[in-house]
Amino acid sequence: MIDLTTDQVGALAAALGLPVTLEDLAEVTHRLNALIEALEPLAELPLETVEPVPGLGGAPAS
Amino acid sequence: MSAGGTDLAFLGARQIAALVRERKVSPTEITRLYLERIERLDPRLSAYITVIPEAALEAAHRAEAAVMRGEPLGPLHGVPYAVKDQFDTAGVRTTSGSRILKDHVPTEDATTISRLNAAGGILLGKLNLTEFALGGTQHFPFGQPRNPWNLDHDPGGSSSGSGIAVAAALCAASLGEDTGGSVRSPASFCGVVGLRPTWSRVSRHGSFPLSWSMDTPGPLARTVEDAAWLLQVIAGYDAKDPLSSRVPVPDYARTLADPVHGLRVGIIRELTSGPETDAEVREAVVEAARCLERLGAVTEELSLPLVPFAGAIFMALADGDGAGVHHRWLRTRPGDYDQGTRRRLLTASLIPVSLQQRAARARALLRAQMLNALARHDLLLCPTAHQPAPPIAAARGTITGRHEVAGRFFTRRSYVTPAALAGLPAIAVPCGFTRSGLPISLQLIGRHFEEATVLRAAHAYERQSEWSRRRPPGTN
Repeated sequence: MIDLTTDQVGALAAALGLPVTLEDLAEVTHRLNALIEALEPLAELPLETVEPVPGLGGAPAS
Repeated sequence: MSAGGTDLAFLGARQIAALVRERKVSPTEITRLYLERIERLDPRLSAYITVIPEAALEAAHRAEAAVMRGEPLGPLHGVPYAVKDQFDTAGVRTTSGSRILKDHVPTEDATTISRLNAAGGILLGKLNLTEFALGGTQHFPFGQPRNPWNLDHDPGGSSSGSGIAVAAALCAASLGEDTGGSVRSPASFCGVVGLRPTWSRVSRHGSFPLSWSMDTPGPLARTVEDAAWLLQVIAGYDAKDPLSSRVPVPDYARTLADPVHGLRVGIIRELTSGPETDAEVREAVVEAARCLERLGAVTEELSLPLVPFAGAIFMALADGDGAGVHHRWLRTRPGDYDQGTRRRLLTASLIPVSLQQRAARARALLRAQMLNALARHDLLLCPTAHQPAPPIAAARGTITGRHEVAGRFFTRRSYVTPAALAGLPAIAVPCGFTRSGLPISLQLIGRHFEEATVLRAAHAYERQSEWSRRRPPGTN
């Protein structure tokens, strides 16, 4: 798995107009890489046919 | 304060309401008692952000007059309560635990507050929380909340003050909000009962949002009976929350003491005996399951293979929603956030859509796994937290590597987020103490809108144990 670099994460933030300090950038990069890594094994699941809806409650909401 | 006063403060909300009704305790007396305790004990606990003594005493005088006139009394008449500072209160500042809203004074009560007040409850004040109900706050703007069982330890979050105030008897009961464990985690760490109702069972109107498909107000209390009592008051359709449910609200007290004989309980293997679960926690939870067996429940271990991923799935989805809520302030007022909150929201803002889609689809599969299990079992059982309350210092400081993130954020959330991701009701009930004196908590998860079954099993267990009767040191 390829880690995102701080430069790449900084560019993503800039694209959204989000100001990020250098101190924040290092930690945000670690956090984002950790989330990507944690969700990586889910790619092995048969997800193509699963509809990504929350499936709210067991009865009509209203 | 006399021992009698302390005993009165530690009574349940329902017991206090009964004493008020019988004119054995006056609303003014009990309100003064809690205000005195807050003044004396809260400086070292930081459960409260705002206390409203004048308004509380005015409400108590009105409640007392109503009793003396023999007027019809609501179920919480004269009962002092407090709420997480995430809920709007008309004329009382509502900060959501953030400097950004430090001067925010709503003009309208949240629906839950309106209902608690209409039932006769007396609002004492607003309770501390992790900033904007996200976890990971590094420096609390309104004081570091502390666990009453050990002041150096985390009280849990995000409804931190709601757990502390109930455990230390700084109110009779409290209201929290549970997006991904924010009622159950502080209940677990502080040794009290915390109920997350079915999503949509309780109106979200007037509660600062985090994730629209998971935000759920819920009570924290010293007994399961009180949690049922409060749920009865706040549950039900609200036109101001279009996603609130019209499913009828049953009488929770009516079935609370029914037997649990024959109830089928599935023990979630990955969370109860998995490698992440602390040995003392596992031992206490297994013993609680045995207790339910002795009461006639039928237990069986089962596997839900996706639950270890629940924490990461939750953070990809709920944090993504939160990033949307906060986008404007993140751009214009980043320095007004706590460092931990800002970094978490910045991260969430950058999650690739393809990854969020993967998480959303995995959520649907996880939900299906849980509903399949609940087709065969009436309840699912597991620990509320994988470990007892950690030291506050353990969650402090800059993250210097991605492997730290899993330990701080994903693992513990995988115990409380499965119910949140599936929209299911779940309760945290004290089930023991570690050798070092920190509370341990049992979690029971039920089917959609079957809070009555969750409460019945929790009540049956609670009556067989003595954990709820213990008091934190230094709270007399």
